Amino acid sequence: MTRPQSLPPDAPVGGQSAGEIHETLRRRIACLQEARLRNDRKTSSSGCGALDQLLPRRGFCRGTLTEWLAAGWGHGAETLAFQAAGHACREGEALVVLDARRRFYPPGAAWLGIAPEQLIVVRAAGQSDHTWAADQSLRCPGVGAVVVWPEKLDGRTFRRMQLAAEEGGSLGFLIRPQRVQREPSWADVRLLIEPLPPAAYAAGRRLKIRLLRCRGAADDRCLEVEIDDETHAVYPLAQLAHRTTPRRATGA
Amino acid sequence: MPLAEVAALDIQIPPCIEPHEPAADREALEALAGWCQRFSPTVGLEEAAEPESLLLDITGLAHLFGGEAAIAEQVIGAFARRGLAVRVAVADTVGAAWAVAHFGTGSLVPSGTTPAVLAALPVEALRLPPKTVELLHGLGVYRIEQLKRLPRDELSIRFGPRLLGRLDQAMGRTGEVIVSFRPPTDWRTEWSLDYPTTRRATIEAILEQLIGRLAVRLRSADRGAVRLECRLQCRPADPLTFAVGLFRPSAVAGHLWSLVRAPLERLRLVAPVTAISVEAPIVAPLPRQQRNLFPDGSARQHAVDLAALIDRLGSRLGSEAVTRVRLVAEAQPERAYRYEPLTAKRRRRASPDQSHLLPRPLQLFWEPLALEMVAMAPGGPPSRFHLRGHVYRIARSWGPERIETGWWRGRSTDRDYYRVETTTGHRLWLFRRLADNRWFLHGLFS
Repeated sequence: MTRPQSLPPDAPVGGQSAGEIHETLRRRIACLQEARLRNDRKTSSSGCGALDQLLPRRGFCRGTLTEWLAAGWGHGAETLAFQAAGHACREGEALVVLDARRRFYPPGAAWLGIAPEQLIVVRAAGQSDHTWAADQSLRCPGVGAVVVWPEKLDGRTFRRMQLAAEEGGSLGFLIRPQRVQREPSWADVRLLIEPLPPAAYAAGRRLKIRLLRCRGAADDRCLEVEIDDETHAVYPLAQLAHRTTPRRATGA
Repeated sequence: MPLAEVAALDIQIPPCIEPHEPAADREALEALAGWCQRFSPTVGLEEAAEPESLLLDITGLAHLFGGEAAIAEQVIGAFARRGLAVRVAVADTVGAAWAVAHFGTGSLVPSGTTPAVLAALPVEALRLPPKTVELLHGLGVYRIEQLKRLPRDELSIRFGPRLLGRLDQAMGRTGEVIVSFRPPTDWRTEWSLDYPTTRRATIEAILEQLIGRLAVRLRSADRGAVRLECRLQCRPADPLTFAVGLFRPSAVAGHLWSLVRAPLERLRLVAPVTAISVEAPIVAPLPRQQRNLFPDGSARQHAVDLAALIDRLGSRLGSEAVTRVRLVAEAQPERAYRYEPLTAKRRRRASPDQSHLLPRPLQLFWEPLALEMVAMAPGGPPSRFHLRGHVYRIARSWGPERIETGWWRGRSTDRDYYRVETTTGHRLWLFRRLADNRWFLHGLFS
């Protein structure tokens, strides 16, 4: 890479003047600063008001990655992720599903209210193609959200994906196993979804959402929600119990 | 000119004799018709089995060339520069122009004088079949004025409607349309290598240039490629071919080249390449982009970006790997949807009513996993089962949803599906195969 320090001011290098290079580098450094809140970015609701309250920008910030961690089979993390992705694509943007494992079942997404016409399902054969497809999809401004199940994710690939999302302005949802929760992350938000045992009084599905990590907010806060089986609406559990004091549900 | 007539001519230079090739003649004339579009947008070939004349519609064009006589002169001059001698006539009707060009003198028939000019010309000038001309000569009719004096009804009975039709066309009593010649467009560019090579850099450079040329031609015709086929002729091996499909027609050289690059990189060159060709077998009009008064074209720009993404993904991963989803009204879960390549033509089919969707999981195992039932509630799903070393205890269940289908496909599918929730809150989709009462895990409400 060209070192701008060795150049006279405003000398054109590769079509860019030194001033422009300085500006580019300054922006990149700013991206690295952890606590920076991206006020210039739009946010997208998660589809659950209580979860939005937990996030510092009251929703997922476009142009960032979000990790959804969960353990076991049938945990419910994907249900929440797809609902949030559906919200991000409400203005007709494409929802790209990178289904390398070939297990994604589109009628399930349709049941959650996602229009099949908005879905683009990409089934890459190899790991490198899969990563490349994720990078390309995140980089595209016409894409509202990208849902991906990364098999392996090294720091470099992770960082590339984060930069791609930042460039494209789409939401990247990574669905990952719970065991990676101690690993470093380039995602803005890391959520852990744990199913709660069914209760006699609750008809719907109960989940515990733990905010493990979030840029610009206190870590490790949690929230219990119930998903209505018919409408797929997500209510905070405490709100159901104490309808008069809904705000308590969001307290840490 | 027949060979016998040539021998009869008293000429000093030995004649150059070529075999008669009507197809080649027509091709040459068509090429000239294409070239003549510099004088008029409507250029046609005369209506004949072996056309020899070109028809140009110059209505309303005279002032651009400085008058009708000037057009005639410029046409003659342009042909002369190509080494061709031509006779040109400008008249009110196609028939009159043809007659004067073949049998008359001068090149300009002033407007309104057509009947007078034609009167003195022989009947052959009416573009009649040789048999009709022979018959007219037999009757002593040689000139058009003689023909005009004969009663029309009898002419029609004796010679059929064609004679009168031609006469009326020449006189301007009935209209005649010049069928404009459109060269069949062949969206193809080629490059032959004098020295066959296996060097990738050379092949890439040539391909890029060919695509560039094709893109320029496409853009000038306001067309975009929907499919691009590249062919590398190898010797002594078979030619290598590969194709890329596009989501949206494009005539942008850089974009087309980026799509071709991925399959090219995967290609194994087994023998030196002798020729390279790029063809767009499917083209479509370029999508129009109207500019907004207020600059908010983001939605449209997004569609363009998305099309470019789909093309890129399809080019590297194959069009089958980049798909849209179509729900199908099928009860059997594996058949309830279809993946269709996004770069393929969209087939208009009514999608099933989506207002009454049944609960379906987000993940489905293509091969259902057999599970080992340990205990079972009467008339319900197993209350406890083993799967891959784990024990699952079921707290709640919904079902059964009976799916019986597929007998017409030769193998029927009879299953009772249950949505179950384990004591830990995980939700699964199980079914019992009615044929043998075995249990399977089919999907995950993950």
